[in-house]
Amino acid sequence: MNLRINGTEREVAEGSSALLIYTLRDELGMTGAKIGCAAGFCGVCTVLVDGVATRACITPLAVVEGKEITTIEGLAQQDASGAVRLHPVQQAFIDAQVPQCGWCMSGQILTAAAFLQTNPAPTEAEVVAAMGENYCRCGCYHRIKQAVLAAAEQMAAQVVAATLPTEVRA
Amino acid sequence: MSGDANTQPAGADPNPSRDAQTADQAAAQPTKRSRWRLSRRGFLIGAGAVAGGLALGYVYGVPWTRLQLAGVFEGAEGQPSRFPEDPWAWFEVLPDNRIRLYLMKVEMGQGVHTALAQIAAEELGIAWEDLDIAQATTGRDMGDSLMTSGSSSVSGVFQPLLEAAATFRAMLATEAAMLLGAPADQVMVAGRGFAVQGDPARRVDFAAVATSKTEWEAPKEPVAIKNWQDYSVIGQPRARVDIPAKVTGQAIYGMDARLDGMKYGAVVRPPTISATAKSLGAGAAAEMAGVVKVVVAEDFAGVVADTRTAAYAAVAQMSTEWDLGHPWQQAELEAIVTVDGRDGIVIQEVGDASRLLGEETTVTSEYRTPFAIHTPLEAQAALADVQPDRVRVWCSTQGQGFVRAEVAKAIGVDEQIVEVIPTYLGGGYGRKAGWEVAIEAARLAQAAGVPVHVGWSRLEELRYGYFRPLTHHQLAGRVDAAGNLLAIEHRQASGDVAFDFLPPLMTAVMGADFGAYRGATIRYDAPNKRTVAFRRDLPIRTGWWRGLGLLPNTFAVESFIDELAHAAAIDPLAFRLQNLHDEGDSGRLKRVLQAAADLGEWGQPAPAGRARGIAATVDVGTAVAMVAEVSVDVTTGKIRVHKVAAAMDCGLTVNPDGARAQVEGNIMWGVGSALIEEMTVQDGQVVPANFDRYPLLTMKEAPDVAVVLLEAGDGVPRGVGEPPIGPVAPAIANAFYALTGKRVHQLPMNEARVLAALA
Ligand code: FES
Ligand code: FES
Repeated sequence: MNLRINGTEREVAEGSSALLIYTLRDELGMTGAKIGCAAGFCGVCTVLVDGVATRACITPLAVVEGKEITTIEGLAQQDASGAVRLHPVQQAFIDAQVPQCGWCMSGQILTAAAFLQTNPAPTEAEVVAAMGENYCRCGCYHRIKQAVLAAAEQMAAQVVAATLPTEVRA
Repeated sequence: MSGDANTQPAGADPNPSRDAQTADQAAAQPTKRSRWRLSRRGFLIGAGAVAGGLALGYVYGVPWTRLQLAGVFEGAEGQPSRFPEDPWAWFEVLPDNRIRLYLMKVEMGQGVHTALAQIAAEELGIAWEDLDIAQATTGRDMGDSLMTSGSSSVSGVFQPLLEAAATFRAMLATEAAMLLGAPADQVMVAGRGFAVQGDPARRVDFAAVATSKTEWEAPKEPVAIKNWQDYSVIGQPRARVDIPAKVTGQAIYGMDARLDGMKYGAVVRPPTISATAKSLGAGAAAEMAGVVKVVVAEDFAGVVADTRTAAYAAVAQMSTEWDLGHPWQQAELEAIVTVDGRDGIVIQEVGDASRLLGEETTVTSEYRTPFAIHTPLEAQAALADVQPDRVRVWCSTQGQGFVRAEVAKAIGVDEQIVEVIPTYLGGGYGRKAGWEVAIEAARLAQAAGVPVHVGWSRLEELRYGYFRPLTHHQLAGRVDAAGNLLAIEHRQASGDVAFDFLPPLMTAVMGADFGAYRGATIRYDAPNKRTVAFRRDLPIRTGWWRGLGLLPNTFAVESFIDELAHAAAIDPLAFRLQNLHDEGDSGRLKRVLQAAADLGEWGQPAPAGRARGIAATVDVGTAVAMVAEVSVDVTTGKIRVHKVAAAMDCGLTVNPDGARAQVEGNIMWGVGSALIEEMTVQDGQVVPANFDRYPLLTMKEAPDVAVVLLEAGDGVPRGVGEPPIGPVAPAIANAFYALTGKRVHQLPMNEARVLAALA
């Protein structure tokens, strides 16, 4: 079957009952999505399916066929000049020096990116509720929370900048 | 800094299917390694660095040399590791004139690559961007310190690396002066080369210097290194070099290692902790879809298949008959780990505590802590490629040297042909100091004739490792009318921590497990104090878990100190300060206690419904104190930790932001262990098979944290990765007491235990 991953059609050999995480990591060699529990508990396998944070370890291929899958490898954008522009959440995670071992971070970042899409101006409590089902064994919770709030502010500033008349922007 | 090793096919060669080269053939070909003539002393580290690590002055009847040997395994200070004396083992010059630093320490999130790069940059005197760092494989001779543990990576490597960097720069500078025809003292580092002072046009690049000859001599005299007060890179916060790859999915871990043509392996596991196999057999595994090879040996059975799913499905079909052994229950194990007077080893004796204890004014108490599991989110993982003349293992490991030796033994090859390539670790915490998964991958790869990856499931990670052991503590103490400690005794029983990894002869000589009693001795001033360790043999494998005995022992001792303070009707902070002196580690402990108290608003009224508790420890030379602010829901019994304020003096801090991150992470570990984490055994098996039965702390329970770092003012870095795990649980327990007048004597302080305490 065909899957659409990070804007590219990929043909995969496995059947529709195969789980997305193994297809990504083992068949396609896309190891940015991690595996932690294979049972939906930890969130390290999170990818976006049509923009919705989805645990790839409990998601059969049948569910994602025909949908747009975004993994951490596809979250940054290339601008017109070909330069890589990190997603504001990725940038915020660097700025706050969030990751320790990093194993949970693809899942944290994609969960946050999807959340901020639906709630661009969250309160701290809303961030905690949205991120509260993603484990980080290293215990980076304090910084994750700060970084998600910072990313929200950053994205709001970008939206404001984009809607201002050109002369004001300059 | 141009990225870290494990993102590019350099030292770590992390994604071998893209590039099947090793370090020596890496894309950015370094200049040829030159010969080095030994001419001065080696770096024998240890003698000067024993401050506090093992409380050696207190050890009775244990030869110093044995403890030194044990230090190899513990990795604590006092570790007699040899680091390479030859600067060319540490450094190479790249064709683009950057200098590459090779590191024997692995990056598991503790930021060690960045901190060590700062140390090198300090003495090399080059720009941060001009330093490249690479994970050394075991193919590179980096001495015998191929272990990352015991909070010792920065403190242990600090001096040898400073000296190696200074020597490397001096050697290149001397050669550059010759090439430039200038006096050596007028040749300075300028960008990616050297230039004559005042005449920048007369310059030579690093690569030109490095390739100008093939044999280098050590400077006759040791090269002077900077005074620590003059450091400009060390001590500054640096962005971690491994972080960009970790937010873009580019970082490669053991679980991610891939090779063309590789297959996936799975291994038969015993159904109980005491099971022994009566017979191993292939069963129906060979007929299962996708199976490449079924391996049945005397002591090992597994499957190699096209996919991981197929491998696990097939392994479930293998026919194994087990003798299940005794169906151990939790209560039986707790009965084993009990202080009961047998075979105690005195590890601290000052005055005569027993003479004063037992009187009416004696306060006594008991504590217990449970089994805990490391459960790194990346489970054990290794990829092995076994060729007749060459074996390579990509592995998420804290001990690549042990992995190489054990793999060679397991598959019957000469260690010299085995190269272990450490990847990034998706968490280590002591659990990746083993080598089982590498052996499994290697045995399966050898049998199947293809590269095999073994990546444990969560069930395997939770059940088949080694655990933080059960502990039991009995304490007794007396305080005089003025609030001075008169006598105190701590009797502590624990399953093995380090002893499970040491030969029986050594453990017999040592008697008490230094890992189990880490943090057990009494730091407070008392004319009479005594600590006794009771080793208890459990039928389940226990071992090093972050901080080893530090968390259980600090929970017991610092909870008890609080009990003594309350019994004497003295403020717990004032009581601690009163019973410490101003000099040495004791003085540092006082200062962190005061700093944590200030940061945590000690002495000021807490918000309604909350109270604060304080606790502190000195571990591997680092003093750390914390104030926790908690509330409790009296109907559910749930303790909520709102804030933890921490003060740490780890001596000289190399990367302050990295040190803070370690404190923050340790606080979360401490809260998890204080409130949630508990592994139990039932009917002979470890209960949790996934996170539903071993839940971890989430952001919902995570406290706000504030961290202040103090400096010892002596230019000596000490350990950071574990000491802060000590005071968290007792600070919470003490806050709970301040709030409710009740004490929970057993971890975790979960709902059931809190309700029982409140009843
Ligand atoms: S691996 Fe998918 S939720 Fe844990
Ligand atoms: S950074 Fe290690 S698990 Fe989150």
